[in-house]
Amino acid sequence: MQIQPSDLGLIARVAELGKRYGTGSGAVTALDDVSLGLRRGEFTAIMGPSGSGKSTLMHIMAGLDSPTSGRAWLGDTDITELSDSALTVLRRRRIGFVFQSFNLVPTLDVRGNIMLPFELDGRRPSQEEQEWIDELVDVLGLGSRIGHRPHELSGGQQQRVAIARALATRPDLVFADEPTGNLDSRTGREVLGLLAAASARYGQSIAMVTHDPIAASHADRILFLADGRIVRDAGRSTAEEISTFMLGMERAA
Amino acid sequence: MRVSFTGQWPTLLVAALAGTFGSALLHVTGVLAAAIAADDVTGESATVALMLGLVATVFIVIAVYVSSVVTANTVSTVVAGRTRLIALLRLIGSSARSQRAQIAREGLVVGVAGAAIGVVVGTGVAFALERVAVATGLMPETAYGYANPWVALPAVAVVLTTWLASWVGSRLVLKVRPIQAIGNANEHDREELGSRRGRNITALVFVALGTALLVLGVVVGLVSPFGVLIGLVGGIVSFTGIVLGADVVMPPVLRLVGRLFGASPAARLAAENAVRHPERSSRMTIGLVIGVTLVTTFSVTMASYRELILAAQRAQPEVYAGIDEMLNVTVGVFTVLIGFSALIAAIGMVNTLSLSVLQRTRELGLLRALGFDRRQLRGMIVAESAALTLAATLTGVVLGFGYGWAGAQSLLGAAQGTPALVVPGIPWALFGGLLVAAALLTIVASIAPARRAMRVSPVVALAVE
Repeated sequence: MQIQPSDLGLIARVAELGKRYGTGSGAVTALDDVSLGLRRGEFTAIMGPSGSGKSTLMHIMAGLDSPTSGRAWLGDTDITELSDSALTVLRRRRIGFVFQSFNLVPTLDVRGNIMLPFELDGRRPSQEEQEWIDELVDVLGLGSRIGHRPHELSGGQQQRVAIARALATRPDLVFADEPTGNLDSRTGREVLGLLAAASARYGQSIAMVTHDPIAASHADRILFLADGRIVRDAGRSTAEEISTFMLGMERAA
Repeated sequence: MRVSFTGQWPTLLVAALAGTFGSALLHVTGVLAAAIAADDVTGESATVALMLGLVATVFIVIAVYVSSVVTANTVSTVVAGRTRLIALLRLIGSSARSQRAQIAREGLVVGVAGAAIGVVVGTGVAFALERVAVATGLMPETAYGYANPWVALPAVAVVLTTWLASWVGSRLVLKVRPIQAIGNANEHDREELGSRRGRNITALVFVALGTALLVLGVVVGLVSPFGVLIGLVGGIVSFTGIVLGADVVMPPVLRLVGRLFGASPAARLAAENAVRHPERSSRMTIGLVIGVTLVTTFSVTMASYRELILAAQRAQPEVYAGIDEMLNVTVGVFTVLIGFSALIAAIGMVNTLSLSVLQRTRELGLLRALGFDRRQLRGMIVAESAALTLAATLTGVVLGFGYGWAGAQSLLGAAQGTPALVVPGIPWALFGGLLVAAALLTIVASIAPARRAMRVSPVVALAVE
């Protein structure tokens, strides 16, 4: 019998993943034989300098891009060769996204944005799901803003709407791409606290791509990427430890 | 600086079409005038040739007017798409005025190219038509030489209006702030109402004044056919008001039409997209509104005229013998001539929809990332295109019906000697044709943007600009 990723307590896994752009002498290797597993319920940070391949890794794990070699799983589903429409449904039901530039749909109000994943699925939230959404709106302090459009909200509020949207379907995994990149440091800390709480209180698995040591210090586990390879797999660390390691990496390069 | 033509192809197409139409029509009237002059019976009368020239001029003016509205709107859309580039150039020290002059200069070059293409193609078309008419025995051989100096007029008109329209359409450049080059990539939705209030008041005054003149025309028309001239002025003035106030007129219509498409997320987003930027959607639709209004106005007037003639024919069959055929030919010729302006307007809508989809790549990527599948995305684009087309067609039909009846009433109210109410003729064939044309336009307008939208990778939503 084959061992499934979930048997190992993993929510997502990649094996011998490679990604190359272009061919011949101009080819660029974005990912070079990366294997890793993300544990269920954990808040994992993927760190690395620009061009380390962390965004490419996230795109492949989220079914947004396909690898040149190797395989990727979400839960027990091998997503490497899924068709575009199967990946679309997978993203809709099992993955949540939080982006650097918030990326709310400008034509929809806060409620419309949070409900969008359900609408795309052509269904109404069940009683239990609705309670969960109400709780999210409450916890994220969006109650008084529910009828507002994105452009009427501050950056921090927009990002909280994005978090509510990402968590609303209780996806297997939430991907956060530099979620604090467009926020001031205080609002950024708040957002990180909310993500950490979602993981700690509700067992939400989160993968966050960042190059900010302070952001990464909120995570349970930190993976460091450089030149398309994993160079370190660390547990919870302080921002100082992370910075020191990052600086060391720079010097070694 | 080097002139760049990104996104200017639609303008070239519109300019070339208007140029083709103008020169072909002038050549054809030239050929007809030559044939009439050669004929023994009609040759004496200079009136027929003059009338032909007048009619041709009216239709050329309409076509050039529609194409300049379309061009101004296309240029606005192109500018909206270039905002970041313009902001960057502003940031490194280029003035707004030089940026705008640059776009007007592009308009001039495009206008010259379009007019040149138009004259060549138009002459070819007219020549081909003449050959066919002669070969089928419809017309005798004429001495018409194609070196008609008048053809230069529509060409010059196309160049000037394209230039002017580019200048008018590029006023958005002045609103671009340098900071937008480095700012957040999110689209700005702030509605700048302040500057629009003055324009809306002007629009309202125009509509009120125009309507008053229309009413006056109808009243005068009860005793004299010259009422139609007053009515014509009223029509032009009130319609200009509607064009100016398009961002107030169109959104409610779009919202109403949007409701027809149901509540699926694709349909709802499409409806919302159509009303999100009142300025953008009125830009997309107003050309088509003008086109449909013109077609409907002419058809309703002609149909009313026809009803009247047919009624008279029933009363005195011997006087009006054989008039049916002449009526049909006249209606047919006028419909084709006016239909050409509607075609230019339709092309304008196809362009602006394509451009606006191109400019929303990031948003489409987001929807893909969140789980819109390709079919839903295509559905959204088609629904958006249908909403725009339908809204424009409905508005045009309603306006055209009003104008057409006013035209018929003021022209024919006194035709029977005593003041009488003219029953508006309902051109059913036209409505059927419009319905088919609208459906066709919806599909044509959404093919390219839908294909492009379906190719958008969800990764672009995550990219930081």
